[in-house]
Amino acid sequence: MNELSKLFNRIVQRVNINLRELNFDVSPYAVELIPLDQMSKFYALYGITPDHPLDLHFDHSALAGSYFLGKSRVRNSILYKSDIRGDELKRKGCDVNFGKFVLTLTKDEIIDIEDSVLIKTLVHNYSHDPETPEKFFIKDTLAMDYVNIHGSPSEGCFLGPFATVDLTTMCDSIIGAYSYVQAGEISHLKVDPGTIWVNSHNNFNFFYKYPADVLEQYVSLSPDKVPWGILIDFIEERKREFQRVFDFVNLEAIDTIPKTASLDRYAVVLPVVNIADNVLVAQRAYIENSNLGKGANAQENCFIINSTLEGYNVTAHGAKIIEADLKPNVFVGFNSFLFGKKESRLTINAGCVIMPHTIIDIDAPLEIPAEHLVWGLVRNKEELAENSISLKKMSEISSFFSQGKMCFEGNGAMFVKAFKERIHHILHANGAFYENFENAGHAQKNQRLSLNTIQPFQFGINEGMYPNIRIQP
Amino acid sequence: MKNYLVKDLMVPISEYATVPVGTSLVEAILVLERAQEVYAVNKFQHRVILVFDLDGHVVGKISQLRVLKALENVREFDNEIEDIRKFKFSEAFISHIRDQFSTKKKIIKEDVLREVAAKKVEEFMQTLTPGEYVSEDSPIDAAINKLVAGAHTSLLVTRNTEIVGIIRITDVFAALFHEISSLEEGHPGYPLSPPGFKVSDMP
Repeated sequence: MNELSKLFNRIVQRVNINLRELNFDVSPYAVELIPLDQMSKFYALYGITPDHPLDLHFDHSALAGSYFLGKSRVRNSILYKSDIRGDELKRKGCDVNFGKFVLTLTKDEIIDIEDSVLIKTLVHNYSHDPETPEKFFIKDTLAMDYVNIHGSPSEGCFLGPFATVDLTTMCDSIIGAYSYVQAGEISHLKVDPGTIWVNSHNNFNFFYKYPADVLEQYVSLSPDKVPWGILIDFIEERKREFQRVFDFVNLEAIDTIPKTASLDRYAVVLPVVNIADNVLVAQRAYIENSNLGKGANAQENCFIINSTLEGYNVTAHGAKIIEADLKPNVFVGFNSFLFGKKESRLTINAGCVIMPHTIIDIDAPLEIPAEHLVWGLVRNKEELAENSISLKKMSEISSFFSQGKMCFEGNGAMFVKAFKERIHHILHANGAFYENFENAGHAQKNQRLSLNTIQPFQFGINEGMYPNIRIQP
Repeated sequence: MKNYLVKDLMVPISEYATVPVGTSLVEAILVLERAQEVYAVNKFQHRVILVFDLDGHVVGKISQLRVLKALENVREFDNEIEDIRKFKFSEAFISHIRDQFSTKKKIIKEDVLREVAAKKVEEFMQTLTPGEYVSEDSPIDAAINKLVAGAHTSLLVTRNTEIVGIIRITDVFAALFHEISSLEEGHPGYPLSPPGFKVSDMP
């Protein structure tokens, strides 16, 4: 057995030990998880920029096709086509507020990945755990395809395909496929597939769960098989286009991109695409025959096809927008799948919030009124009526509310405010409001980014592993 | 005060309604009905059916509450409510949701009743826990302790490894009540401290 296989088996055992109380064995899922023979076929890359500290430390790990930016350390881990984006980590000297406590950081925050397997996973944002403000750790964790670990330190967890954990410290927990959790802190919790849970202690609590039989059509998972379903098929059908951008060292630059916008070198752009000022298109985003208006963004693993985004639109990590027209200030949350068709376009009016992990899959034209919150599964007008509410009505909720399979308890106005403020923050961080050299964000800063590649061992006992490397300025 | 033992208050197992595993709910209810007719003149009313396994061991019991619960379980929303409960909703909200679901889905419908009637007793019986057994020679205090600690309405009474009866909370309470009443009748009052006694005099 080579070193890579030994490492993989060791990590699987470590995750199993952590999840023993939940009586969950990751081994059957892990068997088909990564083609170990592919691990030597892809290089890894890292960004160099004056805007973020450069300190990368790789130790006894495999990193095939993965991307690193900012300060990170990877030990005894396997990363496959994952993005470790440390461009929002906290900096030395900044004040961290938590309740009545204020803490000044004495060092730059680091993403610390240890004894973990991450497959096509995005790690972004910063640790929201007040107990570890300088370390965004991911330990003894196994994350399957297209997981988002967003500002969420993790220890001893299993995350199914397309799961997102957002601003939540998680310990010894199982997050089912296509589930979204934003809850501050969870421990020893098993979250079923398709659960959407947003909890802010003493403020509000939102819950929705997809019907299992319907969700299975989009994402399915079973032991000894790679994940499958409409979402996986959709991505697989466009895999070849990504191959091209990763195969070539130098690609021809697209000269119609405004100087205030950023199109990542590892994004796929197919004609005809119009990009306005302050637009951000991140690596592994896929844009085809679409218009991105001023300040719009397409984050990692996004797909925007035959669509128009009129401006200041957030397309969060993993969201997919097909045959749709989005008016200004529409937010599309993590891993949402907005699946319009050529003869059945989707129109989303201004100011709408499409909750993370929403599926809109229509066979007749559908229009969502302005300033609405939409969640869950929407396949027609009836399901839209059941799974949406105007933001005004939502703001009037002061205690209990339930509609269809959605449950809400708490202060609706605070819920809406929290979303609106976060959307504004995302736009600001991405440089959507850049004007006269002020309010620069990722769209502008990423233009000062260059990329280096690193290669794995190609032969011998260490095939697929990467040499131990410390990269500093 | 009389020193009651468990065996003084228990109902012998032979006087209890019993069914084997595999019995349907409707058959179990008929057994209970017949038992109540037979013992109509007896000192107690049957409220519980005991369930035996194939070896003749008591493996569970069915109370009226369990039957009602079996009805509730037929409604799919029970699972949904258990799901929601995991995600930090308040008890007030859970109660609100339960009311909403109940309004939408009625229990007293022919198809629901038919489905419940066909259920096997082992699907909804209450399985027994170690705290639900008490020896026949134990003082009644031990039974009171177990009834209170486990919030049980009855306990199984054992003689070595054999189950010989049931002691019910109503019988224990009646015995206690009798003792308390006799205190009132037999004495001018409850024992008092001697005149002039102060707390500071205590050793």
